[in-house]
Formats: sequence, C-alpha cells, structure tokens
Amino acid sequence: MSTTTSAPAPERPMPVPTRESQPYWDGMRGGKFMLQHCTACGKVRHYPRPVCPHCFSLESEFREAPTTGQIHTWTVCHHPFNFFFKQQAPYIVALVDMDAGVRVNAPLRGVAEGDLKIGRRVALCFEPVTKDVTLPYFAGA
Amino acid sequence: MAHALRDKAAISGIGETAYTRGTTKSGLALQLEASLRAIEDAGLSPRDIDGIVPYFPGGGIAEDFIANLGLPDVTLSLFVPMGGATCVAAIQSAAMAVATGVCRNVLISVGRTGYSGARVSTRLQQFPQFALAAEFEAPIGMFAPAQLYAQGARRHMELYGTTERHFAEVAVVTRQHAILNGNVVMNKPLTVEEHRASRMISDPFRLFDCSLESDGGAAIIVSAADRARSLRKPLVTIMGVAEGHPESPASIAQRPDLLEFGLVKAAKRGYDMAGVGPKDMNLAEIYDCFTFTVIRQLEILGFCKTGEGGPFVMDGRIRLGGALPINTHGGLLSQGHVVGLNHVIELTRQLRGEGGKAQVRKAEMGLVTGYGDMGDGSLAILRRAA
Repeated sequence: MSTTTSAPAPERPMPVPTRESQPYWDGMRGGKFMLQHCTACGKVRHYPRPVCPHCFSLESEFREAPTTGQIHTWTVCHHPFNFFFKQQAPYIVALVDMDAGVRVNAPLRGVAEGDLKIGRRVALCFEPVTKDVTLPYFAGA
Repeated sequence: MAHALRDKAAISGIGETAYTRGTTKSGLALQLEASLRAIEDAGLSPRDIDGIVPYFPGGGIAEDFIANLGLPDVTLSLFVPMGGATCVAAIQSAAMAVATGVCRNVLISVGRTGYSGARVSTRLQQFPQFALAAEFEAPIGMFAPAQLYAQGARRHMELYGTTERHFAEVAVVTRQHAILNGNVVMNKPLTVEEHRASRMISDPFRLFDCSLESDGGAAIIVSAADRARSLRKPLVTIMGVAEGHPESPASIAQRPDLLEFGLVKAAKRGYDMAGVGPKDMNLAEIYDCFTFTVIRQLEILGFCKTGEGGPFVMDGRIRLGGALPINTHGGLLSQGHVVGLNHVIELTRQLRGEGGKAQVRKAEMGLVTGYGDMGDGSLAILRRAA
C-alpha cells in the first residue's frame, strides 16, 4: 500500500471558556466586546472572575464596551513557540489600554513595526476562526 | 528588635548534577542525584531529611523522596508554586520550619529535562497559574515567557531609553563568568556583536537574551543555624528572606504597571528582616530568565533608580572585580536552567569561599533573587557567619 502522508496541520490553540468567561466569548462571536462589571459597585474587571476585588460582591453582569484604545506596549513574535503561528511570523502583538478601562492583548494588523509607539490609537476587531470561536485583533484607528 | 527568623536558619548543604543538553536520565533521577550530593555536602545522612519541598510541577514529589531515600519520618511536605520564584521563596518556608522545630533538615530540590524532555511552552500548560494566558493569550499567539515578558521589556525601552546594548552586556558578562565555572552548558566566549546577530525570538528579545533549555538537577539543605554550625561546611545563614506576589498575578496584561514585579514587595521585607540594604551586598545572584529581567530587578533591589538599570550594568560594574559582581556562575543564561536553585548554590559557595576561579574577594554578604510565573518574586540575603 502506498499513500502519500504529510504531517497533520498544527492546531491553533483555542480558548476553553469557563463559567465566568463564557459571556465574553459569546460576545466575541456576536461581534461585541462584552466586559464583566460588578453589579454592586459597577467597576469593570477583566479577565472574568467570580468575585469583585473592590467590594467582594459575587454578582456581576456583562455589558458591551467601546472597542477603541491606545497602545500600552507591544512585542513582535518571530519564533513560533506553537507551530500553528509559523506561517504568520513575524507578527505584532499589541497590549492595548482600552477606553473601557481594561487591557486586551491581540495581534495588530495593518501597522508597520516602525510606526509603533506608546499611545497610538487602535480599534479592536473581530475575526471568526471557527463557527464557535471569534478572536480579537487590532487595526489602526 | 531583630526579626524572629533572622539568622535562625542556614544553607547547610548544596548539590548539583552536571548541567547538559541531552541526558537519558529522568528529571526525578537528576533531582535525587543532586539531593544526595547536597546531603553529602552537609555531612548528613539521607535519614536526617525530614522536610521536602520539591519544585513543582516537574520532577518528583515527597512520596518519591521517601521511597528512594528511605526517609523514616517526613514531618513536612509542601510545594511553593511560584515558577522561577519558587526556589528562593521555598527557603522562607524551610527557614520557618527549621526555626520552629517542625523540621530539622529541609531538602529543596529541582530535577529538569528541559532540553531532552518537554520544552517550555508544553510544560507551562501544566501550570494552573498559566490558565488565563492559555485561555486569552495563547489563541492569539502569545504564551511563551519570551513573548509575555517581551512587552514589559519593550515598555521599559520606550519609557527610559534602555537599549539592546544594555541587554547584550548582561549576556556577555554572564558568559564570561560561566567560562570560569567547570559545570556549564555554554563554555565559549560571547561577544556583543554575536548577541546583536543572534536571531530575534520575540522583539526585543534575541536568542542570547533568553535562558537555556537544559537538563540537570540541583538541591540545597536548610537546617537550623545552631545545628548547622556543627555540620561539615562553613556556616552560611539566612539573614533575610521573602516572597512577593504582584497585582494581577496570573496575567501580566492586566497588571496596572507591567514592571511592578512581586520583587517590589519581597525586597522591602527581605531587607527589613535582614536589617541591611543594597550597599551592604558584596555580590548578587539575580534570576536571569531574560537579560532584561536582570536589569529591572537591579532597579527594584535599589542598586539604581527605576530607568537606570541599563546604564548601571555597563562599564564593568557587574563583572567579577566590579562594584557588584552578578551571576558569578553563569546563571540561567549560560550555566543551566534549574529554575534558579543554581543561583542559591553559587551564593552559598561564594560565601563559603568555595567560588574557585570566580571567587569574589571578601564575599561576606550577598543576595539571591527568584522571578517567575508572570512576575512573582523572591529574595534571600545570606551571609557567612562570624
């Protein structure tokens, strides 16, 4: 028997939502940036977790938040620690201070490495990668 | 009044295997080999060990030590899950145990097949502390420490003008020191030009800014100081020791200040406990998972101000013979990666006067740090007893 074999395509690491984070990922899938807010004191928190560290309330709700922000810092990933990303390297990952008061780490597209600077305005976008999972990325604003 | 734990415990034994890239031994076998050497170094029998703090996850657990060393009565078994801050933080737990009489001799040990076994990104999947990174950052292409810590390094460069040349100095000096030590993975000189030409891993980190993936084991014994005085080697006591956890400990991304490591808290408490400050140190062994991590810790430790860590490492200051020799064994960058237990071993050796070609003159007091798990920190200040 002779068949042509090739190495299986490397799998993309996928988020495994928790009971706390499910609404965030559901929001992503619907193209909305949903953030957890404390029902008692109103403060936002990210990543999602059970208790408000400010007032210790267990009650929280997810609200849609603005998708704009500014670059806090960045890295340019050259070495693919996961082989899935080998095709994409080098790629910029920007850590962004969202106007909503939390940070998001996501790939930044359409901006040259030489144009990166702290404070540059960017906007969060949504990229469906499977029927269940949508991941964030940034584009220049 | 002096801190209740100050000088009450001692590093009584040290042991390490050969540091290599390529072994057929298991992590547990390396850990036990190093442990037996540390026990021998202290002049103890394995039967004298009654406290076990193995690095976790990876390597053995207390049950393995009882089964392999025939330990008759282990009174304390614990993990200190702080990644690279574990080994120095474990000294605090061990010191408390021997000072209170819960234990007589506590074994802290590491065994790793970081080169011949699973590599870093795979290993980290086992860490509950990396769950947030796995959920929110791995899917967008960020997971390895080189990537996660690179963003803090880039911010430091943008805010303070720290440069790749500063990073190179740490790598080059560490290599110079490694060459003086017979047991290292990297034993050829490294130049600034070779550093600059090395491939980019995650900007601003190049290959030679990153610590080694290597195989090896390391172990130390912590004993009560009054008992350790009658053991085989010169007495080296623990003047100060502390661990510190940063804000947003499992996510660097959400930390208000990326550069506010757990060491900020640990350093203050460690110095306070010891009753000394940075000016009293004859040398420092600084956790060097990345070159930049050394620069930032030197700032946090008060050797210079925030933003001045880059210029601080220049002009021979951190070399042997300089004002503050650091990583006199070659560190994680050039000797081997046993999660920083080799830094504790080297400081102990220096304070005993066993530093060989890398011996710092008049080494009477020094400090050692741990850093890991997204920024946990730990500090121990050791001194040669009078």
